[in-house]
Amino acid sequence: MKIRSDIVKVYKDVHIWVGIVAGLMLFVAFYGGAITMFEKPLERWAAPPSSLPTPVPLERAPALVEAVLTAHPEAARQYIVLVETAPDSPARVLWRVRGQRRGEFTEYGAGFDADGRLQVERIRKAPVAQLIDTLHQHVGLPFPERVSRLVMGAVALLYAVALVSGLIVLLPTLVKDLFALRVGKNIKRMWLDAHNALGLVSLPFHLIMALTCVVFAFHDQFYDAQDKVVYPGGIDWGREEHAPPPPPGTPPLPAAELLRRVNAQLPGFRVYGFSFEREKDGHLEGRVTGLDTRHGTRARTYASTHLDPYTGQVGPHDLPGHMEPWDAAVNAFFMLHFGSFGGNGVRWMYLLLGLAGAMLFYTGNVLWIESRRKKQRGTETPVQKRSVRVLGCLTTGVSLGCVVGISATLAATKWLPSRVDDLAAWHEGIYFAVFAACVAWAFLRGTARSAHELLWAAAAVTALIPLSSLAGAWGLGGAWHHPGSGIVIDAVAVLAVPVFLLIARHSRRRALRGHVDSVWSARAAAA
Amino acid sequence: MNDRRARLESRHWLGKSVAGLVFGFGLALALSGLFAWLGPDGIHGGGGKIQFNMWLIAPIWCAVLSCVFLFRDSLRAWLWLGGANAAAFGLLWLVRATLEQGAA
Repeated sequence: MKIRSDIVKVYKDVHIWVGIVAGLMLFVAFYGGAITMFEKPLERWAAPPSSLPTPVPLERAPALVEAVLTAHPEAARQYIVLVETAPDSPARVLWRVRGQRRGEFTEYGAGFDADGRLQVERIRKAPVAQLIDTLHQHVGLPFPERVSRLVMGAVALLYAVALVSGLIVLLPTLVKDLFALRVGKNIKRMWLDAHNALGLVSLPFHLIMALTCVVFAFHDQFYDAQDKVVYPGGIDWGREEHAPPPPPGTPPLPAAELLRRVNAQLPGFRVYGFSFEREKDGHLEGRVTGLDTRHGTRARTYASTHLDPYTGQVGPHDLPGHMEPWDAAVNAFFMLHFGSFGGNGVRWMYLLLGLAGAMLFYTGNVLWIESRRKKQRGTETPVQKRSVRVLGCLTTGVSLGCVVGISATLAATKWLPSRVDDLAAWHEGIYFAVFAACVAWAFLRGTARSAHELLWAAAAVTALIPLSSLAGAWGLGGAWHHPGSGIVIDAVAVLAVPVFLLIARHSRRRALRGHVDSVWSARAAAA
Repeated sequence: MNDRRARLESRHWLGKSVAGLVFGFGLALALSGLFAWLGPDGIHGGGGKIQFNMWLIAPIWCAVLSCVFLFRDSLRAWLWLGGANAAAFGLLWLVRATLEQGAA
């Protein structure tokens, strides 16, 4: 395709600048996002063992609910009856008590011991999956939610501009460059081919991510603006109409019966649980939560809709597959971001696309460095420009710091609960301490040496993840190991170790033997 | 238009970017409003339509912000996009005035 050369030139400058500003933050967002594709197994893997007795069968849930409400009347405001229990939600009946601040709450679970006595436990979920998700959403920055959200929105806008400008730059040579990976003497050419291939092949994925992120960051502002200039009298969300409540004192249907009625109404929908909320007049409103993998969902791992607890009647219009067209379209935007359609196959694909995205931003930085390289003329090794050296250190330090930091905080998961109280603060502290140390190390040692040294650190720290699970299986030091889907976390960590070592080997060889007129040479730095 | 094609230069970054950010958002807002009124199901299309209207802002804003560097200089970007904003908001006002009148 023909595009005027001056346009290509201008957009190349645009691409370089937005890329250099947003690239490293996007690296963290994509690496973290790739890992959050397995949020559920990760939560399960990271949940400390519960001391609660084995959950009672679903048929006995009404008795348990009654015992809980008698002993803990505050649970009546909102409680959950789970159909499927798991290590990260180990009780048939759970409830939440609100904390001091908005969004803060403590979760309790209940069961009957062998003598039929009520046992209650504060549920301790390891917040490590949450931390990785927050890093993903906040592009790796440690600022409060309000600030991070604005930065995230700005980065998303830059990212959208980077995609369009990159495409404009690539279009004129698209046919020639597509599927070409010229590995050879011209290193910049090779990195450019890799960068182009990654970007073009995953362009639809990246467009989805950029546009959804702009919405995720700014939806409040968008609604406020539309509220003022578009809608007469402001946005009117309307009110959901439900059947009138039954006479006071009517008991809700038992959970097992609700399950039978929901299953009859929603074939193919796997029910995870029911939640109940007591309204001001004393009657209950219910919701059913579960998943039908034939449909994508806007919540990351489940779908949920209104349930009449007295009749078992489902109001299915919140469920994918039963929605009105506009809701279905919006549902699609969410699920395309979350990869929450098509089951685990799509999740693995999104994991790979996410890692490829991280590589795209990494190769972008490498290209910036390569195109500003001072080449050797004559015998003297040139000193690389300061900006190039700084970006080299930042590139290895930030990207590998994120990798090592996430592995470190994951490796700590199974040792913290028996030792410290504020798990969230510890997980966050470990990540940012390790991240900062890696960036400092990169500046201390230079790009070339820090690259393979930090990769060694990544391999070592990542190896600690399955080793702590192994310690848990042997019952050492308060660690634990749950059988089941969490094993995928250990398996992926085991696979990642040789990959890190292999890349470290290549980086080291390049640092020691490659041409010296580059920040990637350890010999030049020594000279 | 001028026959001697002026070549695009890597200048006026700030002016163009601000034009793209501000007028791009304005244009997206006005166009999403026009869709809300004139698109299928109209302004009373329910909660799903309201969400969809909001989602429309992102692609339009990003498209304008991405293409704003095609303007030869800041002044042209400001004038063209400002004009487009005036036209889109004027149309939105006209549509609202007509349809709200009709509904009343």
